[in-house]
Amino acid sequence: MTSYSNGGLFNPAYHDSETLESDRRSSSKSHPHTNPYARGERADTHYATGQNSGDDAVGRVPWGGWQEESWRGRESIPMGLISTRPGSPPWQHDLNHSTFQIPPDSQYDRSPSVRLPPATSGNMTMRWRGMTMRRMSMFPNGDPNHVAFTEDAIRNEMENEEQNLVKELVAMSTRDRIRAIRDLPVSFDEKKHIRSQVLAFKSSKKSRQFTCFADCSENMSLSFRRCGYSIRSARQTLQLWQGIMKEIGGTFGTSVLSYFVFLKWLLMFNIFSFLVNFGFITIPLLVYDPSPNIPPNVSFRGLEILTGAGYFNNTVMYYGGYSNETLVGLVEYNMQLAYFFTIAVYMVLCGIALIFSMASSFRTNYVLADTSSNSAWQLLCSWDFNITNERAVRQHKNNLRVQLKESLSEKAQRELLTLSKKLKHFGVYLGSWLLSTGLAVGCGGSIYYLCQYEQQRATDAANWSLLQEAETLLVPFVVSLMNLVIPLFYSLFNKFEPYSSQRRQIYALVVRNVLLKMSILAVLCYYWMNVVAIKFSCWESMVGQALYRLVIVDFLFLMLGSFFGEFLSNVIGRRLLPRLGVPEFDVARNVLEIIYAQTLAWIGIYFSPLLPAIQILKFFILFYLKKVSLTQNCQPPRRSGRAAQMQTIFIALLFFPFFVGALSMVAYTAWSLTPSEHCGPFRGLTNTFSVVGVWMEYLEKIPGSQWAVWIYQNVIRSEIFYFLISLIIIVTIYIFWQVTQGRKHLIGLLRKQIVNEGKDKSFLLDKLQNLQKSKPDQKSKQKNHKKHSSGGQSNSNAMFQALLARQQLEEEEERRGVGGVPDISTSSALAQAVQARQRAEGQERDEYYRTGFSENPVNTSSALTQAMQARRRVEEDGADDAQDLPSSVSSVMMQVMQARQRAEEVDRSHRVPAHPQNLAPAGSSALIQAMLARQQAQNEYDDGY
Amino acid sequence: MGNKQTTFTDEQLEAFQDCTFFTRKEILRLHGRYRELAPHLVPLDYTNNPDIKVPLALIVTMPELKENPFRDRIVETFSEDGHGNLSFNDFVDMFSALCETSPRELKTIYAFKIYDFNRDSFICKDDMKRTLNKLTKGELTPEEVTLVCDKSIEEADLDGDSKLSFSDFENMVSKAPDFLSNFHVRI
Repeated sequence: MTSYSNGGLFNPAYHDSETLESDRRSSSKSHPHTNPYARGERADTHYATGQNSGDDAVGRVPWGGWQEESWRGRESIPMGLISTRPGSPPWQHDLNHSTFQIPPDSQYDRSPSVRLPPATSGNMTMRWRGMTMRRMSMFPNGDPNHVAFTEDAIRNEMENEEQNLVKELVAMSTRDRIRAIRDLPVSFDEKKHIRSQVLAFKSSKKSRQFTCFADCSENMSLSFRRCGYSIRSARQTLQLWQGIMKEIGGTFGTSVLSYFVFLKWLLMFNIFSFLVNFGFITIPLLVYDPSPNIPPNVSFRGLEILTGAGYFNNTVMYYGGYSNETLVGLVEYNMQLAYFFTIAVYMVLCGIALIFSMASSFRTNYVLADTSSNSAWQLLCSWDFNITNERAVRQHKNNLRVQLKESLSEKAQRELLTLSKKLKHFGVYLGSWLLSTGLAVGCGGSIYYLCQYEQQRATDAANWSLLQEAETLLVPFVVSLMNLVIPLFYSLFNKFEPYSSQRRQIYALVVRNVLLKMSILAVLCYYWMNVVAIKFSCWESMVGQALYRLVIVDFLFLMLGSFFGEFLSNVIGRRLLPRLGVPEFDVARNVLEIIYAQTLAWIGIYFSPLLPAIQILKFFILFYLKKVSLTQNCQPPRRSGRAAQMQTIFIALLFFPFFVGALSMVAYTAWSLTPSEHCGPFRGLTNTFSVVGVWMEYLEKIPGSQWAVWIYQNVIRSEIFYFLISLIIIVTIYIFWQVTQGRKHLIGLLRKQIVNEGKDKSFLLDKLQNLQKSKPDQKSKQKNHKKHSSGGQSNSNAMFQALLARQQLEEEEERRGVGGVPDISTSSALAQAVQARQRAEGQERDEYYRTGFSENPVNTSSALTQAMQARRRVEEDGADDAQDLPSSVSSVMMQVMQARQRAEEVDRSHRVPAHPQNLAPAGSSALIQAMLARQQAQNEYDDGY
Repeated sequence: MGNKQTTFTDEQLEAFQDCTFFTRKEILRLHGRYRELAPHLVPLDYTNNPDIKVPLALIVTMPELKENPFRDRIVETFSEDGHGNLSFNDFVDMFSALCETSPRELKTIYAFKIYDFNRDSFICKDDMKRTLNKLTKGELTPEEVTLVCDKSIEEADLDGDSKLSFSDFENMVSKAPDFLSNFHVRI
C-alpha cells in the first residue's frame, strides 16, 4: 500500500478504474469534511467492503500498474513531448515545437493492466515519487476530482494536438510532409499511424473535390517520389568503399575516418575534373586526329613515367599537344574556346563546390566558441557509437579515463604559473615560431636556387639524354623530401612547447605546415612564371612536366612516408623499443599531405589537362595503402580531438590558401602571360583571355548574337560593373555582419533569461514545498519521533499512515471539542484508525512474504504498538466524553473484533509458510493484544454502567 | 523483388521509406539482419505484420552494438515495451534515428533518452555517474567520479537545478559538433 503514502501521491491507475472512483464518491458523500489525503477515503471504501484479506493485493496492483505505465510510455519520459501520465504534462517542460506531438490514443487504448511491478531499483520509485509529489504540490489542494478533471482536459488537449498536427501535415507539400513525419521523435508505429491519418484526410478531401487534374498531380508526385527513392538507392549502390569505411570507423573512430572521407571526397573532385577535361578537350582532338604527332627521333624509354618528359611531351598529356585549329567534323569545334572555357568552368565549379561544402560544414559544426563545458561534453557527447572493435573500445575507455584525470589535475596546476614561468613559455613559443618560419623561408629560398641551377643546365632541345632526363627529377625530389622531413621537425618542436590545450597544439602544427607548403609552392610558381615562361619556347608544357614530376614524386614519397613513418616505427615500437609504442595515425599531417597533392593538381589543370587522371590513380592507390598501413601498423589516436571541427578547418584550408592560390596562379597565367608561340591552342595570341575577344569579333559578324557581344562589351569588360558588384557585395556583407552581431547579443540575453527562469523556478518550488510542509508539520511534529523507533524501514510507510490516521483522529477530536457532537465522525475516525492498523498489517504481511521472515517480530510488534496507541487514543477519547458512550463503546467492541480477526489472520499467515520459530512471538503478541482489547472493552462497559 | 519471395508489400515499403531515413534496399537489408538474430523466430514473410519481438539479449549480440557501453540502454530506449524487446518496427526505428541522415534534433532527443537511465526526464547526478562508470569501466575512484559528475553538471546546467533538463542537454549538444558524427551507427 505504499502507493498511497505521503499524502496525495497521484496514481493514474487508480483514477482510470471506474469502480474505485464510484466507490470513492459514494464514500465521500457519507463523509462531509473534505479530506486532503486521498488515502483516507480509500481506506474507507476498503473498510466498508471488508476486503481484509484481499486488501493487500488490491492495494498493490495499481502501484504496479502505475510503474508499468511509466515504463511503457517511453516516449513520454523525457521532455514531455506527450505524457502518458495524466496529470503531469502541464508542468513538464514543453520544450518541443508544437509539431512534435504524438497521437495520444495509442496510449490511452492501453488498459491499466494488472501486472506485477517490474524489478526496478528502489531508487527509481523514490525518484518517481518525488517528482509526482512535487507536481502534486502544485495542485490547489490535491483534490482527486480536480485531477480527474484535468486528466480529461489533457486528453482532449492531446487529441486536439494530434488533429492540429495532422492538419498541419496535410497543408504541407509532399516532400516537407515526409520530412516532418520522419523527424517526429516517436516510434515507427505512431509515425505510420499519423501518416495513414494524413493520407486518409487527404484522400477524403480529394474525393470531395475530385478533379482529373488533382488526381493526375497526385500520381505525378507519387511517381516522382518513387523515382527519387530509386535514385537514392542507386546512389547507395554506387557508393565507394562502404564496407571499408565502416570497418575503419569501427576500429579507429570517427576522427581517423574523417581522413578517409576527405580522401574520397577529393577523389570525386578529380574524377569530375577528369571527365570534364577528357570529354571536352581531349576526345574532340583525338576524334579529329588520333595519331600523336611525335617527332621521329623520340621513343618511349620508360623513364617518362617518372619524369613526364620526352615521349609524353608531344602527347595530349600537356598543353603543347593541343592544336589551335577549329576542328571541322560533323560540327565545327573551336579548340581554343573549348580549352579556355573548360578550364574556366571547371575552376569556377570547383570553387562553388568548395564554398558550399565549407558553408554546410560550418553550419552543421557551428560552434559558439565555448570551451567551458568540456567535461560534460566528454561524458555525454564524446562517445563514438561507431566503434565496434573490442580493443578500440577498451582503448577509448582508457583514453577517456586518462583525460578526465588530467582535466581534474589540470585545474590545480594552472594556478601555479608564475611570471618567470610565463616568460619562459613565451620564449619557447617565440623561439619555435621563429625557427619554424625560418625553416619554411629557408626551404623556399633553397628551392629557388636549385631551380635556377637546373634551368641553367636544361636546354630547349626536343630529345634529352637519359641523364639529362633524370636530372629533372632533382627538384621534385628535394621538394618532396622537404615536405616529408620538415614536418617531423615541427612535431619535434611541438613536443617542447607547453600548450595548455590539445587543440591549440594541433592548430599551431597545422599553421606551420601550411606555411611551409605555401612558401614552397609560391617559390615554384614564381619560378615558373618569371623564368620558365621566358626561356622555353613551349613553356606551358615544361611547367606541365614539372607539375607531373612533382605529383609522381610526391606520391612515391607518400608511400615511403607511410612505410617509414608507420611500418618502421611500428616494428621499432613493437620489437625494439617498446617505450615508443605503436604509432598513432596522425590525421592532421595526412590530411595536409593530400591537400598539398590536390593543390598541385589544380595548378596543373591548365598546363596538363590530363593530370587529374594521374591524380585519380594516385588517390585510389593511396586509399588502399593508407587503409592497409592503418590496420596493420597503427593504433587509434590517443586523443580524439573534436574531429568534426578539424574537418571543417581542413575544408577551409583547402579552400583558402590552397585553392585560392591555385586559382590566382592559373588566372594570372591566363590573363597576363604570353602563351608560347609555336605550340598549344593559344599560339599567336597576346594572352589567353584574348581568345574571348577574338570570339566576340567573330560573333559580331553573325546576326542574332548581338546580345552576347553587348554583354561582353558592357558587362565583362566594364569597370563600372565590377565596381557596382563589389559595392553590393560589401554592403550585403556588412548587413549580415550586423545581423550576426545582433543575434549574438540576443543569444546572450536568452541565455541569461534561461538562467533567471531556472532560479525563479527553483525558488518558487522551494516556497511551495515549504508552504505545503508547514501545515502537516505542525501537527505531526510531536509524533514523528515515534516513527524512527519502528524497526523495519520498509514498514515506515505504513507507520506513517497510521500516524496520519491518528492525526486525523485528533483533528476530529478538536472539531468535536469546538462544535457539536456528531457520532458519525467518531465512528469514521475510528474506522480510519482501524483501517490504518489494517494497512499496517497488510504491509507487514507483505513484508513477511518478501523478506523471508527476517526481523519479523520487531516489525510486527512496532506496528502493533502503533495500532494499539491509536486505539488507546480512541478509547480515551470515548471515555472522556460520557455522552458518546454507547457509540464509542460499540466502536471499541468493533475494534476488539478487528483485533481478534487480525490475530487470527496473523496466525493463519504464519501457518501457511510454516516457519514455527517466528510464529510464537508474533502470534502471541497479537493474541495478547486481542485479549487486552477485550479487557479494555469490558472495563469500559463496566464503567459506563 | 521479382521472383523472390516477398518480404514486404510495396505499401509497407513505402510506409517505411516515408517514415524512416532508409531506402527500400536498406529496409530489406535491415530485415535480413533482424532475421539473422533469431532465424527460427522471425519469418521471411512480413506482409501480414506479424507481432514478433526479439529480446534484448539477442539484439545486443549484433556487431554494431556488441561493444557499445550503452547497448542495453539504446535497445531499451527504442523498445516499445520498455524491456528491450524489439519488434522489427522498433528495430528499424532504432537504426533510423542513429543513421547518418537523421537530423540533430531527433538525435538529441534520443541521446537524452539513452543517457536518462532512470527515466525521470532529467539527467541527474546519478545518471551521470552511471554514464561515467560505463565509459571508464568503473576504474575511477568514487571521489573522482563525484568530482567529474559535479563538474560536468555544473558546466552544462543553465537553470541551476543541479541536473540537466532537456534544454540544458540540447544547449550542450549544440556546442558539440562531433555529437552528430559520434551518435551514429553504421549498419
